[in-house]
Amino acid sequence: MRTLVKGGRVIDPVLGLDAQRDVLIENGFIAQIGEHLDAPDARIVDAANAIVAPGFIDMHVHLREPGQTHKETIATGTAAAVAGGFTAVACMPNTEPALDSAALVAEVARRAEAAGLARVYPVGAITRGRAGHELAPYHLLAAAGCVAFSDDGATPRDARVLRNAARYAGDLGQVFISHCEDPDLKGDAVMNEGSASARLGLDGSPGLAEDVIVARDLLIAGETEKSWHIAHVSTATSLDLIRWARARGVRVTCEVTPHHLVFLDDRFDDYRADSKVNPPLRAAHDRDALRAAVLDGTIDVFATDHAPHGADEKAQLLSIAPVGFSGLEIAVGAYALALRELPLATYIALLSSNPARILGVPGGTLAVGSAGDVTVFGDRPWTVDARLFRSKGKNTPFDGMTLPRRALATIVDGAVVYEHGQILPRENFVETHA
Amino acid sequence: MPPRNLLDVDDLGPQELVAVLDRAVAFRDALPPRDLLAGVPVLNLFFEASTRTATSFTLAEQRVGADVISFAPGASSLGKGETIADTALTLRGIGVKVIVVRHTESGFARRLADAFDGHVINAGDGTHAHPTQALLDLMTLRQEFGRFANLRVAIVGDILHSRVARSNIVGMRMLGIDVVLVGPATLLPHSFGAHGVRIERDLDAVLPHVDAVMMLRIQRERIAGGLLPTLDDYTQRYQLNRTRLRALRSDAVILHPGPYNRDVELTDDVLADPRSRYVAQVHNGVFVRMAVLDTLVNGVPVAA
Repeated sequence: MRTLVKGGRVIDPVLGLDAQRDVLIENGFIAQIGEHLDAPDARIVDAANAIVAPGFIDMHVHLREPGQTHKETIATGTAAAVAGGFTAVACMPNTEPALDSAALVAEVARRAEAAGLARVYPVGAITRGRAGHELAPYHLLAAAGCVAFSDDGATPRDARVLRNAARYAGDLGQVFISHCEDPDLKGDAVMNEGSASARLGLDGSPGLAEDVIVARDLLIAGETEKSWHIAHVSTATSLDLIRWARARGVRVTCEVTPHHLVFLDDRFDDYRADSKVNPPLRAAHDRDALRAAVLDGTIDVFATDHAPHGADEKAQLLSIAPVGFSGLEIAVGAYALALRELPLATYIALLSSNPARILGVPGGTLAVGSAGDVTVFGDRPWTVDARLFRSKGKNTPFDGMTLPRRALATIVDGAVVYEHGQILPRENFVETHA
Repeated sequence: MPPRNLLDVDDLGPQELVAVLDRAVAFRDALPPRDLLAGVPVLNLFFEASTRTATSFTLAEQRVGADVISFAPGASSLGKGETIADTALTLRGIGVKVIVVRHTESGFARRLADAFDGHVINAGDGTHAHPTQALLDLMTLRQEFGRFANLRVAIVGDILHSRVARSNIVGMRMLGIDVVLVGPATLLPHSFGAHGVRIERDLDAVLPHVDAVMMLRIQRERIAGGLLPTLDDYTQRYQLNRTRLRALRSDAVILHPGPYNRDVELTDDVLADPRSRYVAQVHNGVFVRMAVLDTLVNGVPVAA
């Protein structure tokens, strides 16, 4: 099977390439990059006036399966992924039950293969049941395909447990991913602590709740020499702590979400939960620091924290409505909206090359012989209508907004799985990353 | 156009607010005929227990001739499945035109109002707002001083958890009253500072300089919650008592939204003090609520 992406501006931050080129994919791998390639039997993807990049990887999504399939399934989540331009996603283990056993991880991989859309990389739990007490079986999880470990949605409250986890898993390449919020400082908060929460009479979580856990985890990372990744950074102080740790040789990377780059904690006057998320949307000082940290290279990865929920769940009272919202289908446009001045090569590195490197997964480059995963996107303004999402989660604070950029075609393992607004599941899909 | 709802004081503009107070004073001076809201179904929906506010609203509703229905569903029933939108639809279908609602959740009145095709009066939502309490406080202040301009009012205690404080801050700022908030940082974070709102930690330094002092109730659960060490430690700094009464000007007044915690935020000396206006406050409450009902439902023309 051959696929030829024709006429696009090919940008690959790993190759240092930015030029008009055609990309030929054969049998699931990049076969050739050149000018005016010809392949008579190939499936042609017209990339004229568009940008061709190594496939985008969202290393922080919630696919909700097993256990919460009313919110999302692996099939709907990966459909949302490819519609949003993502060729691969890493799914977080806060399912029911949590991804803390090899059998569960294998089942997730099997269902992802059956869906035949994006590649799915499971993230295993750090502690059993994500309860923060006992260590998860890291080597078994790694053998089953886990690309990282995280108790995402929570943090082990006991620093001793986390330290031992990092020591025991120290011989594995899989990075630890921290969701940094101190549960005590956070309390019952529904939003950021600040003048808005004071005015509205809502419980706020201070930036400090994130900062103290970022500091703790960076110290544990340094002491155990485990490579670490800080998820969805939301405060200026967290960024300073990460810079400090790097200067001391700690192997740490970090990510930022579209919503933290765009929105502020001024979205709760209607007391609806549409913008309720962990960590919460912050004040301008933090948002501006996040944008600056993308531009100065502190932030390595764009990740959505795609967290779908049923509409009825999000419509509940603010105190009981769940946290998070859909992100996969707005990400490509939202990052461009937040950072119009960001060079395209950097944009692509944060969406593809860097997450591939951090997770140790295929892709991240179009170098000949690499995985045949390609994202074609363009600066075509469009207006978000969440009702049209492939995701079951129809909530996003971006609903109704006009975004400057969108995915046009998504190619996974050499197969065109999304083009012209249509999802095109693969037949006879063969996993190539095993 | 009068507002459809009263979710907080700022649903009224400054002129509308004064007009509502004028109307309340007129009702206090001479009760209106009992047909202002004749046949209008008014539902008192108190998810959170209330004695004074519920009684005051009920009396106000009866005095304007409304068809009064009172229902205390308990705070949890909406959490068990029925959505706010379903509740609102049901109540409108039954024929309710005005809902007076109290709930433990901040923003509940707003959520209900957004789904309800009628009028909603917020009788207290979580720690957010209690606009009729603020209106009766403002009515009491105006009765005392005849003006709002250049008044300085101290609000003392657990500002963080007080919907009364929040609504008063909104109303007082709107009317140009100089607000001084007094309390420990755990109950009064810096984030309350704003234009026209000053934060002080030392009650003794504030008392001689205010026209009115509003003492908020201190709840014992703030100790278990790690926000206060002991009541003794708090009262040593913030209790209004015989000693501190001497620092208060002779022409100043003392307000309290009630109910009291005697020997916590204040002592019996305060209740006995001639500057205490608690009775005037609760008396004014009924007339303020009559005026609010009349304004929302009948669109009483407001003075320009």
